Amino acid sequence: MERLLRFIRTRWAWALVLPPLLFFLAFFVGPLLYLFFVSLHDVSQAEMYGTRFTVENYVRIVGDPFYLFIIRRTLTAGLAVSGLSLLIGYPVALSMVRMSPSRRSLLLMALLFPLMVSNVIRAYGWIAILGRRGVINNVLGDVGLLQAPLPLMYSLETVVVGLLTILLPYMIICLVNALLTVDRNLEEAAQALGAGPGRTFLHVTLPLSTPGIASGLLLVFLLTLSAYVTVQLLGGAQSKMLVSLVYDSVMTFVWPRAAALAFVLLAISLAVTTMMLKGIRPQRVQGKG
Amino acid sequence: MRKASWTLRIVTLLSLVIILGPIAIVILVSFSPSDFFAFPPRGLSLRWFYEFFRISSMRGAYLLSLEVALAASVLATVLGTLAALFLARRRGAVVGLLNALFLSPLVFPTIIIGVALLLFYRRIGMPILPGLILAHVLIGTPYCIRSVLTSLQAFDVSLEEAGQSLGASPVRTFFLITLPSIRPGLLSGWLFAFIVSFGELNTALFLTGPGVTTLPIEIFAYLQFQGSQLVIAAASTLQICLVIILVVGMERLVGLSNVVRSR
Repeated sequence: MERLLRFIRTRWAWALVLPPLLFFLAFFVGPLLYLFFVSLHDVSQAEMYGTRFTVENYVRIVGDPFYLFIIRRTLTAGLAVSGLSLLIGYPVALSMVRMSPSRRSLLLMALLFPLMVSNVIRAYGWIAILGRRGVINNVLGDVGLLQAPLPLMYSLETVVVGLLTILLPYMIICLVNALLTVDRNLEEAAQALGAGPGRTFLHVTLPLSTPGIASGLLLVFLLTLSAYVTVQLLGGAQSKMLVSLVYDSVMTFVWPRAAALAFVLLAISLAVTTMMLKGIRPQRVQGKG
Repeated sequence: MRKASWTLRIVTLLSLVIILGPIAIVILVSFSPSDFFAFPPRGLSLRWFYEFFRISSMRGAYLLSLEVALAASVLATVLGTLAALFLARRRGAVVGLLNALFLSPLVFPTIIIGVALLLFYRRIGMPILPGLILAHVLIGTPYCIRSVLTSLQAFDVSLEEAGQSLGASPVRTFFLITLPSIRPGLLSGWLFAFIVSFGELNTALFLTGPGVTTLPIEIFAYLQFQGSQLVIAAASTLQICLVIILVVGMERLVGLSNVVRSR
């Protein structure tokens, strides 16, 4: 009896974690394993998957020029969106850390609020601006500059612009968090020792904010990979990405192929994550100065 | 130096315009009186809001979104609080692993979670509505864990020990001492889980079905198959309104600094 009580006293915390753990195993780990299992079977007309165990689905994706083209396009879009968001987000983050705390939190709210609005609405906003009857074509048409509406929609560029504006707040918030931890004394020390603002930035501020840069790039890249709705609405049929192929396979009930494509997407995310996590390592941050 | 800071300010302003502009345009369009989008708008009217409430599928989608978000966020808060209480008290490799597992839906491509759950639900014959709610619980729980963990870090564990040494049971100690002090984290976690569920697309894309559609998916279907009718703008504005009401309410309740910090 006493042993049982002691057991409960030392182990009760494990009882706390049991419900969430079981839930995650049943609705996250389990389904993912099952998805992998399905991806290793042949396609069947009658059932969700055939009886034959095969890696054919993966071989076909890696060997098909069309799939490879789409994968390359997905990576290009991911790099463009994350790179541009860093380029635009960094100056914004810099000016935010130099503000008074009250103005900074006001701006943070302005950045957080759009993240709470559904992405489908934010993509719709871009349709309202760029579409055939959108703001730009309306205004230019009224002024008399246009004979026919400008085709601004349904291109890779539109998708990149849309995703960039949707995901930019994530990048800025990551950078602000990193820059707030940078010790201002270090910057002042560099300037006191004769470094100009440019040199101080390059050798002090920028290297010290690498963790924020890496996590911002990672977050934006990963969110770009699974942004089906934005890609579909702004890119149309001509700008399909890896997520679109996953979706199309699901809608045509080719489950094993959908599963294999999902795991290709996952493999890309894991590869990028590993690369970025290496970039966050402290020894890289300290650098040579 | 001055010139540099002006450049920074201009970039900041432009960024805010491209981030918030599309949302502002949607709100503006929803009040337009004409059949099609006209800019600048010719007058204001509420006709598209009437239209929204006349279309039963739109109305139903809005109500369903609210129900799903409410159920999912409450469940996510319970699971997230349990997990956070555990993670805050224990150290070690297993705990690190559990921490990574619980927070991974934050960065995991949600579209894959959607496909995986769709296949899993088909196999076990899960009905649509509970399946959708449980998917949203999975996506909302990490937000709750993070924000409750933030509250727990500021919490003095010796208070709990004092409670227990004075004879209170662990459960009593939790409700009398721990719960009141982590309330802000709990509320902001719940808020985030609610808002994430309310606007969620990637799992709902696969897990909704005939008669069971959330508002974002209904808007998406309209945009794809019926062209951009202005009733979508009204639906969007109503979604945005709810987010604003929740955020303002939460500001009154716990102060938004808590929400911002928990991100």
